[in-house]
Amino acid sequence: MLLKVENLTKRFGGLVAVSDVSFGIEKGEIIGIFGPNGSGKTTLLSLLAGLLPPTAGHVFWKGEDIAGARPNVIASRGVIKTFQNPQLFSELSVFEHVMIASFLAFTRIKDHSRLSSFLAPGKGEAALRARAEKALSLCRLQGASEKSAAELSYGEEKMLGVAMAMMCEPELLLLDEPASGLGNDEIHNLENVLRDLRAHGTTLCIIDHKVAFLAKFADQAIALQQGCKIAQGRPNDVLADPAVVKAYLGRSHHA
Amino acid sequence: MKALWFLIPLYLLPLVVTSDTVLTVLIFTFLLSILAIGFNIVFGGAGQLTMFHAAAFGIGSYATFLSMLHFGLPFWLGFLVAVVVIVLVSIVIGWICFKFRLKEFYFAVVTMAFAELCRLIALNWTSVTNGTLGMLVLEKPTLWLPGSGIVKIEQTTPWYFLTLASLTVVLVFSALLMRSWIGRNFSAIRLNEDLAQTLGIDTFRYKLLAFTISNVIAAFAGALYGFYTGFIEPSYLSVTQSLDAIAMALLGGVSTILGPVVGALVLTSLPHLIELPAELRVAVYGIILILVILVMPRGIVGLAAGFFKRQTHAS
Repeated sequence: MLLKVENLTKRFGGLVAVSDVSFGIEKGEIIGIFGPNGSGKTTLLSLLAGLLPPTAGHVFWKGEDIAGARPNVIASRGVIKTFQNPQLFSELSVFEHVMIASFLAFTRIKDHSRLSSFLAPGKGEAALRARAEKALSLCRLQGASEKSAAELSYGEEKMLGVAMAMMCEPELLLLDEPASGLGNDEIHNLENVLRDLRAHGTTLCIIDHKVAFLAKFADQAIALQQGCKIAQGRPNDVLADPAVVKAYLGRSHHA
Repeated sequence: MKALWFLIPLYLLPLVVTSDTVLTVLIFTFLLSILAIGFNIVFGGAGQLTMFHAAAFGIGSYATFLSMLHFGLPFWLGFLVAVVVIVLVSIVIGWICFKFRLKEFYFAVVTMAFAELCRLIALNWTSVTNGTLGMLVLEKPTLWLPGSGIVKIEQTTPWYFLTLASLTVVLVFSALLMRSWIGRNFSAIRLNEDLAQTLGIDTFRYKLLAFTISNVIAAFAGALYGFYTGFIEPSYLSVTQSLDAIAMALLGGVSTILGPVVGALVLTSLPHLIELPAELRVAVYGIILILVILVMPRGIVGLAAGFFKRQTHAS
């Protein structure tokens, strides 16, 4: 098992945002987490990525407990998170963004290019630049690579977030509502990118409240409500689960 | 890097200009530029508003001179001792500040408190530092030059070349640093620290690195400054000294390579161009700071770069 979550709990004062959640993710799997607004999806992802320390519980990554580790440590292990509201380095160009994101890949290079890139940035990073261009074209940002991030549309900002995550060579990619705010065409492109990532063996964990988007991809789905896991299993089974139907619609289908 | 060609005319200047006053003003400009570049690396680069650079400047001059005095070292070895001291001090202070996640004004206030602590030590540890009276520095740095062997740097012209060469080294280093992956990580921290962390950048380590590099550069400026003026006193570590360097970086343009140099030139030569009493000079600094923040947030260099960009776009 790649990632194992055990009894993970997060309290903010009196509010229990994530309550005693346990699940596992196998390598190469796509797992969808859904639930209504305020059900603790984003908090759960932030706990996995180390952006928040858990109140209780464990997160095992390849057998090692990473709960409460700093985000950069978790990222360097291969767990990368994208943000629901795009987080960018606003002054910099799109290309500079993906080059910053190539830092982890860069630290994995074991030859002398790290030193030589200090004296001649262009030379030492030729391989990374090629990869950055590939990630940008996959995310349909190749035309915007010299643009400043402040000039991007919302959809482009989100795709830049995905491109940056790709540059980190994630083993597990945590996507926080990647499709929200995107147009149909952009969602279609996002789906292609996710398929490509999966084909390359990246494990994906996607949260979204658009159930249809998740059902198309996920091998496994988890439904959250008020911080608790209320159902887990194949997407269609989870969607048909009476507890999920009740949480989503407030009443049973047949009532 | 192209911007560094402006240094060539400065190397040729003493052939034309023999006025001691002009060269002296330029020597002070070069020395304070080095201090402002140090500040710019940690503030313009990594976005951390430090108030410790004047303390590093003062520690640089005290530590260099004291190790020469007590261990009989030559200037450059004495400076090496100062580097070790300032690296240790930076790691301790930086570790405390960054472990407690101090940011912006909190970081500024705490580093200022540490700087004051260092100034008070320099002021009160009379047996070592001679307190308020300061110390006279009669020793001069020496350099080995091909052809003439070991030379003592005493006259204005040799000092001009030594400080200009030092500025060149620091400028080239800072330009390389800011263009490298280390500099890129610094800007990532400055622009969005949380995002930088989720991309795997150890922000604690890189902030500590920026703070340490910046203080070593400030200490270098301080060591040269103390030996050029021939006098070291506790006011080198003062808040006013810190603010002067900040004013230079802001006026010239933070996050630009040349900004601190342009700012240092303006603020060092301005008081000589307009005769001003010392109290008024402080007021002028204040007014300039306010104006710069209101009118040119990117400083003189930022403004000029923007202007040239528009010109090329228009043509």
